[in-house]
Amino acid sequence: MSPAYVLKRIALIGYTLFVVSLIVFAITQILPADAAVMLLGENATADALAAVRVQLGLDAPVWLQYGRWLIGVLQGDFGVSMRTGQPVGPVLVEALGRSLLLALFAILLMLCLAVPLGIVAAIRRGKATDLGVSVTSYIGVSVPEFVSATLLILVLADWLQWLPATGYVPLTEDFARGLKHLVLPVLTVSIILIAHVSRMVRSELVDVLHTDYIRAARLKGLSARAVLFKHALRNALLPTITIVALDVGYLLGGVIVVEEIFALPGIGRQLIVAIQSRDLPSIQAGALIMASTYAIANFLADMTYAWLDKRIQYG
Amino acid sequence: MAELLRRMLRSPQGALGLLLVGLMLVLVIVGPWLAPYNPETFTPLQRYKPPSLQFWLGTDQYGRDILSRLLYGARATVLMAIIASALGTLAGALIGTTSAYLGGRSDEAIMRTIDAVMSIPSLLMALLIVTLLGKSSFNALLAIGIAFTPGMARVTRSVALTVRKQDYVSAAIARGEKARYIVWREMLPNVVAPIVVEMTIRVAFAVMLFATLSFLGLGAQPPAPEWGLMVSESRRFMHLSPWMILWPSLAIATVAIGFNLLGDGLRDALNPRT
Amino acid sequence: MDTTAPILEVSGYSLDYATPAGFTRALDGVSLGIAKGEVLGLVGESGSGKTSLAWAVMRYLPAGAKESGRISLAGKELTAASPAEIDAIRGRRIGMVFQDPGTSLNPTLTLGEQLAEVLVRHRGLSRKDAWAEGEAMLARVGIQLPAAMMRRYPHEASGGEKQRVVIATAFACQPECILFDEPTTALDVITARQILDLFAELQDETNVASLYISHDLAVVSSVCNRVAVIHRGRIVEQGPIAEVFAAPRDPYTRMLLAAVPRPDRRVIETVPEPRADALLEVDKVSVIYGRKPFLAALLGRVNTQFTGNREITLAMQPGEILGIVGESGSGKSTLARALTGLHPFEGQIRFGGRPIHGIADMDRAYRRDVQIIFQNPDSSLNPRQRVREILSRPLELYGEPGRGADKAAIAGLLEQVRLPADFADRFPHQLSGGEKQRVAIARAFASNPRLVICDEITSSLDVSVQAAVVALLVDLQQRHGTGYLFITHDLNLVRQIAHRIAVMYRGDLVELIDVGDLAAGARHAYTRSLLAAVPAPLAA
Repeated sequence: MSPAYVLKRIALIGYTLFVVSLIVFAITQILPADAAVMLLGENATADALAAVRVQLGLDAPVWLQYGRWLIGVLQGDFGVSMRTGQPVGPVLVEALGRSLLLALFAILLMLCLAVPLGIVAAIRRGKATDLGVSVTSYIGVSVPEFVSATLLILVLADWLQWLPATGYVPLTEDFARGLKHLVLPVLTVSIILIAHVSRMVRSELVDVLHTDYIRAARLKGLSARAVLFKHALRNALLPTITIVALDVGYLLGGVIVVEEIFALPGIGRQLIVAIQSRDLPSIQAGALIMASTYAIANFLADMTYAWLDKRIQYG
Repeated sequence: MAELLRRMLRSPQGALGLLLVGLMLVLVIVGPWLAPYNPETFTPLQRYKPPSLQFWLGTDQYGRDILSRLLYGARATVLMAIIASALGTLAGALIGTTSAYLGGRSDEAIMRTIDAVMSIPSLLMALLIVTLLGKSSFNALLAIGIAFTPGMARVTRSVALTVRKQDYVSAAIARGEKARYIVWREMLPNVVAPIVVEMTIRVAFAVMLFATLSFLGLGAQPPAPEWGLMVSESRRFMHLSPWMILWPSLAIATVAIGFNLLGDGLRDALNPRT
Repeated sequence: MDTTAPILEVSGYSLDYATPAGFTRALDGVSLGIAKGEVLGLVGESGSGKTSLAWAVMRYLPAGAKESGRISLAGKELTAASPAEIDAIRGRRIGMVFQDPGTSLNPTLTLGEQLAEVLVRHRGLSRKDAWAEGEAMLARVGIQLPAAMMRRYPHEASGGEKQRVVIATAFACQPECILFDEPTTALDVITARQILDLFAELQDETNVASLYISHDLAVVSSVCNRVAVIHRGRIVEQGPIAEVFAAPRDPYTRMLLAAVPRPDRRVIETVPEPRADALLEVDKVSVIYGRKPFLAALLGRVNTQFTGNREITLAMQPGEILGIVGESGSGKSTLARALTGLHPFEGQIRFGGRPIHGIADMDRAYRRDVQIIFQNPDSSLNPRQRVREILSRPLELYGEPGRGADKAAIAGLLEQVRLPADFADRFPHQLSGGEKQRVAIARAFASNPRLVICDEITSSLDVSVQAAVVALLVDLQQRHGTGYLFITHDLNLVRQIAHRIAVMYRGDLVELIDVGDLAAGARHAYTRSLLAAVPAPLAA
């Protein structure tokens, strides 16, 4: 991995965020909502509205508005919420922290379950275990988060009363209760991930187990364990890194739904609230933050891949 | 076609997928005629009924027959998902082919931009577009189509590039064929198959996304018998009558499973090596 | 212990694979034995079962395989051995060298690791000792800097170096028997020669019993003591090399031997008339791969451009067969791509006296007159078109106006390449490799070209199929007076068919020589080493 490759990847993140900022700004600009009307209410006088427009810079040409907004964003200033009048940045960053906690737990749970499941299915290909994993994962990828969340609440919270249905308690405040509140959301967002990644691990490993070099390793008399752990797994799990990174997109989408359902005050919930109240600065900032999370996750995955994969000379 | 069907039926995924999707398409077409009741008729005396001989799947909070609502809703949900995926596929295929055809720096610029757009999660993209266009089924369809476009562009481009490198394309160029013939007669038939597979799998995802948008109140609007909306509306009553939420959830999952299986079956059947 | 008793003995061995349609027989009553220090060549075409025999000996069979008969290693019955016993025998008492070192080495482990692990597993060495021993092994197989090579990954070594590592691994535990499965097929001619020399040396030194599997009779005749010819799972003939090759008893062996290209057996008799006006003149044609270093320079990177052809100059007479030889990456196919407008070039081409400066100058007439046939018909025939459509296109483009691509025209084309007319309705995947290549040839000849570029068109075919395709090409050449640019890596084959030979090396044309003069001695050093590397065409 050469420094030039790292620099190129970082430049790509910059380009990505630039494109995303353009899209997000364009979408919010075309929105029929008039920020001034939203701020002052329907009964405001025309003079008052015009004054606010000047104050908000809404009278300037679109490109100038975009430039001002972008410069603000680059300085960490995402503007002021039209709903609460508070600066958008700090609120969203705090919410992002909660969402990342949720995402992190989900990814950990996914790795702990999906990788072993995929390995077992690949080794026992065509047997009952494989079929079981396969059927489960077909169901897993086919149930949307809002359905699985609702069913989980119904069973685990309402009928069995094991876990709280909704709400959020910071881990710093009460660790045990905080964890309990996180169980259902984490479970919900990780189901699709587990199902998808276990299928990917299985198919990658099946492919690797059919390569010439695995056959050569077997014919050198190495034990089945050594062949699997030393020769096959590394090559099968490498592409999985990329898949997991791409799945972060699904994960972030899932986070939006799950936070809404479980009343978890993360960035997804903030976004939904912002969208429902047409709070432009919050929508812009929220979308931008989500996209950067995804871009950074993929950057980290690419770096890990390049570091682990000795084959490719990244230039 | 008959050959393809035979190959599909050979694998369990293909056979089951064909069965589920076939059944679903029948419901889309004749569902409204099969429905025993009007899906929007309130029957105040028959609310929250569990499944019975009279109401096979029970009734909802307004006493509407859930089976009839599901049968009517098949059209709203499945058809919408298929159209949205087809839309995204078409747009994506256009961009992907163009990018592969242009090659060089234009290709790189287009693909980097596509990558950038893909860093907005599909659901968020759809949410933003629906916010922009206003909440309605049609706008949700458009939003999903747009959200799928970059992904399909990527797939199409990589398939087109693989085909472009094949010697039969080189042979056509060396023979002096026109670009139009090469693209339409030599490349397209070989590009279509993997794209159809990808699109089929995306229909499953579109069903889920569409239902999710409706669930969040941004897709179909009440009293439409859209499945996601049905789940959303019945959440408040799930303690009272779990049936209300179970049936539409099952319907969504079944359709999604059906299209996932169909896609995997198609992939195997279209692979000339097996 | 009796030294003449075979180390590896296979007797009455049959093998059936389970397929959805029932069992298919892969091996049928195979019996052979290899004594200490002996090399038995197992020769057969693809699908003959030669590799199946190797898997059977290694006890590496798919689930559901049905076998009968015996395979024994120094008296130990392998078909009855337990999995644990097999693990202890593989790599320890029977080694194996594979066809392609590019795929048989794990890309994410160092070469040293893959060599040392065998020593740790079978000889109980510590990792440190195994590493030191591995270095010694690499030095033994002719690796220049063994310590550095141990630390490299497969992609950091050349094909020849990798194959040396694989050979070192096979010999590492001093096995009694080693199976070689086409060990030089994936390598270039000169590298292959070096590997064969190394093999002979190690064979003498270790006295191992070797089974050498190959499709190449010339190679087998140069490295083996005895040969067994396998055809459709049966050993049709077996005996000392000299005997079998001098007086083959079985008709299949005779056919196989007759098909092997031999420079002394010319298949082309005509000589092109020396005329003033050449058919094709290539004047200082260069091809450069890679993008212009605009972005690279901007990022301070090394120039990524790469020269495929460097100022190639040659000329061809009408009806001449000009062979082009060279190893992979020498630029032979690049020249073919430049001549057919598949890659931009610098310099000038003159065809029939008409100058062509670039792809834009290649008009209809040029396209009609210059046709190309590719190496792999699987890739050059569109899998979703029927043979009819594949053949009708050039007829529509270049056929006589008004005649078009009717049934008779297609049948005529098929007949010309000796295929039945009803093949028109088939898809390429319904044809065999040789049949597919015939369709590709028919497509090239549909426009009545004056020059056909044959880019390695026989290298994916079996020897007997290759001989038939070459005979067909010769026949077509005599009928139509077409000129061929015959690109190949097979020096024996090109000496059989070409009038003149162009030798290419790393993008340069190093020598252009009359076939007749080749035996008298080539001038260029590379041509000489190439000639020396080619296995002597059959001892007989």
